[in-house]
Amino acid sequence: MTATVLRPSAAPPAGAPVLLRLESIEKAFVGVRALKGVSLELLAGEVQMLLGENGAGKSTLMKILAGEYAPTAGRIVVRGREVAGLTPDSAKALGIGLIHQELSLVPALSVAENICLGRMPTNRFGQIDWKRAHELAAEAVGRLGVAIDPGAEVGRLQIAEQQLVEIARVLEWNPEILLLDEPTSALSDAERERLFAVIRRLKERGVGMIYISHHLAEIPMIADRVTVLRDGSVVGTILPDEADEDRCISMMVGRSLEDQFPKPVVAKGAPALEVAGLSAGKTLQDLSFTLHQGEILGIFGLMGAGQEEVAAALFGLQKSRGRIRINGQDRGIRTPADAIAQGLGLLTRDRRQSLVPMLTVGPNLSLPWLSNRSPWSALQHRRESEEVQRYIADLKIRPATTTTPVRFYSGGNQQKVILARWMSSGASILVFDEPTRGIDVGAKADVFALMGDLVQRGMSVLMISSELNELIGMADRVLVMRGGRVSAELGRHELSQEALLRHAS
Amino acid sequence: MASQRSLPSAPGGAGTRYRDLLLRGGPFIALVILCVFLSMATPHFATLDNMFNITRQSAFTAILAVGQTFVILTGGIDLSVAAVAALSACVTTVLLTTPLVLFGYDFGILPAPLAIAIGLGVGCACGALNGWIIARFKIPDFIATLGTMTVLRGVALIVTDGLPVPSFQSMSSGAALPSALIQAGSGSVLGIPISAIIALIVALAGFYILRYRALGRAIFAVGGNREAARVAGIDIGRTKIMAYMISGLTAAIAGLIMVGRLNSANALMADGEELRSIAAVVIGGTNLFGGEGGVIGSLVGAVIIGVLNNGLNLLNVSPFWQRIVQGLVIVLVVIFDQWRRRKTAGGN
Ligand SMILES: Nc1ncnc2c1ncn2[C@@H]1O[C@H](COP(=O)(O)OP(=O)(O)OP(=O)(O)O)[C@@H](O)[C@H]1O
Ligand SMILES: [Mg+2]
Repeated sequence: MTATVLRPSAAPPAGAPVLLRLESIEKAFVGVRALKGVSLELLAGEVQMLLGENGAGKSTLMKILAGEYAPTAGRIVVRGREVAGLTPDSAKALGIGLIHQELSLVPALSVAENICLGRMPTNRFGQIDWKRAHELAAEAVGRLGVAIDPGAEVGRLQIAEQQLVEIARVLEWNPEILLLDEPTSALSDAERERLFAVIRRLKERGVGMIYISHHLAEIPMIADRVTVLRDGSVVGTILPDEADEDRCISMMVGRSLEDQFPKPVVAKGAPALEVAGLSAGKTLQDLSFTLHQGEILGIFGLMGAGQEEVAAALFGLQKSRGRIRINGQDRGIRTPADAIAQGLGLLTRDRRQSLVPMLTVGPNLSLPWLSNRSPWSALQHRRESEEVQRYIADLKIRPATTTTPVRFYSGGNQQKVILARWMSSGASILVFDEPTRGIDVGAKADVFALMGDLVQRGMSVLMISSELNELIGMADRVLVMRGGRVSAELGRHELSQEALLRHAS
Repeated sequence: MASQRSLPSAPGGAGTRYRDLLLRGGPFIALVILCVFLSMATPHFATLDNMFNITRQSAFTAILAVGQTFVILTGGIDLSVAAVAALSACVTTVLLTTPLVLFGYDFGILPAPLAIAIGLGVGCACGALNGWIIARFKIPDFIATLGTMTVLRGVALIVTDGLPVPSFQSMSSGAALPSALIQAGSGSVLGIPISAIIALIVALAGFYILRYRALGRAIFAVGGNREAARVAGIDIGRTKIMAYMISGLTAAIAGLIMVGRLNSANALMADGEELRSIAAVVIGGTNLFGGEGGVIGSLVGAVIIGVLNNGLNLLNVSPFWQRIVQGLVIVLVVIFDQWRRRKTAGGN
């Protein structure tokens, strides 16, 4: 096997004990071999970054360690002792905590209930001590440097807040082996910094961490070692100084990547979407902008700056005030069906808001075709299968089958399915809310290339993103938001990390 | 190991295909096993006559179950189906046996096609009412249909005055049910019960809608992830209402078939059939939380219940024990189904 030959020896932190050792872990699902003999070692006090393309098997490996999936073969050794037949409870007893990629919170319960689930503090009479529970929850999220109302229903929180609650919930019981599956995919830089501060503290306490991310820029910030997974096998483990972007990408993808941000030059066309005085929800106040044909307009803001509500307000998912003009005509958009009829498309920041998990790629891709149509109209099976074939090829959606329900797809591949939906929908104004959340570097480049194609065909893209480099790479203009309002508008030549952050905070 | 590893990761070999079939075709396999067992246990089971007997008995549940499948696929549940069946049956039979007087104007006894159409219309209207209450007031489906179930039984009692229809009174004045209705319930062509043929047609129509019409897709989307359906611009309220209307319509069809079989209707007929229809749907592999399943499974589920009934009768099992066995079978099938779902999801 090339996998073992390729592995260079990376120096572990001096003398640290081995917390966890995986030997030849294999996992087969019906029809897919997700892991083909993965071996790795995790030391105490180490952050081991796990990289890999979408569908490489990262999340599957984490779920096996957390006792959620049973491995098909292989040994798991925790602190020198082999553990067989892990269950979620026994994994927890061994001190293994998993922060899930697809958050594992109960949306109908409050923040406090989610954080204290199963360990609700009680008073002398055995009754739940709500005051104490709320205090605990507030403390737990407070350690991440944010304030989230412990009584708030989790399902109503922003996705970034949900992600923080998920992190707090796991950290709350002090696991010694911490698995973080894309914890920063929904966070902006400020929250990420605070999470990293927490991770550094945990390192000092000797906690071993496996940290999964598609942000290669995070490697120098926290990684002690970098392990790359490709197609269910370990390609190698290297040190952060060897792990420059090109090296990581070629290890992950098996080839090198030419241009990450293929930005075509497109002449700005007529105004496509004009928004005046849009306000909605708790934070968004008085937003005005014009999006032109052939333009990529970025919106940037830190958590709570109002950019989270823009998409929902534009798409009729949330009550809003203000004027919306599309192609020069006033349009009232009260429901998503109205928005779709006006040629809008929305990629939600939370994929669970877009996908029907038990349906396959085809029905998920063609779902908006049903809007504004008679219930008795025929389904377009032929067009559907053509589009599916096309986007499976263009976006490299894996597995490349048309019979697997999308809930069995890796997170990044699910994201690609939603992208394919709006690209094939014929919508001319696309609202992309965190379009690259959870997708790998190769796929990101593919998505940006497709975005370039779209604007070249005269469509417009509103790109709401917390990824500075992506905005800088792709946007023609960026609106920076602060406190629910636009604090600055930066043209393409004025875009820089410093400028964006300065106006945002 | 090494040789296995060098294989391209082609999705599934022959082994996984068989396993797939086993996992998917669960209800059908259960039916086959049940039939094989019964034909060995009693010589009276595997006769042509008995087969037709079973299909005739299963037809009613099967038709109800088709509509119930639509509702359950949206994530709802329709407890009112049996009450709707009874009300539709009562309305049609009353219109066929007693002169209709409205606003002082005497319409006389309505012609059979019109009376039947009105009965079916009543079913649709009841379904629409269910769907509207649920969509408009955001009440849980279970509660809303529990309420309408009770109300509709009351309405049926009022319509019939609490008496069987045709009543002795109307019969003595020469009223009788039209032969078409009787044929639908108890007739047969080439030995095949007409009610079973109708059930098959209803199921195929249901299959067609779910597979080839926008409504069918919308139903799966709403039941699978309501929020995603909303974002995709699907009208959730309308989808719900239409699913309940279909359930109301199939309930009315089933009610009329039962009239044909019993040659009479009454307000309390088909008591408990709502639970049996739900059982058929669940045995047929439809996810009780919505989004997964289909009518063909429900058809098989209804036949399983029919075969079980028939078999237990042939084996002379006491009616008391029959109930216990039926209940256990439902629980076992659902346990198997859960296990199957976990297996395909890769868990342990
Ligand atoms: N329950 C399942 N049933 C069938 N196949 C599955 C299941 N879970 C995962 N897979 C498949 O296993 C492979 C690995 O998936 P996994 O979620 O581990 O990828 P990942 O590395 O976490 O990707 P991403 O970066 O997109 O999150 C994928 O091909 C996926 O489709
Ligand atoms: Mg993953």
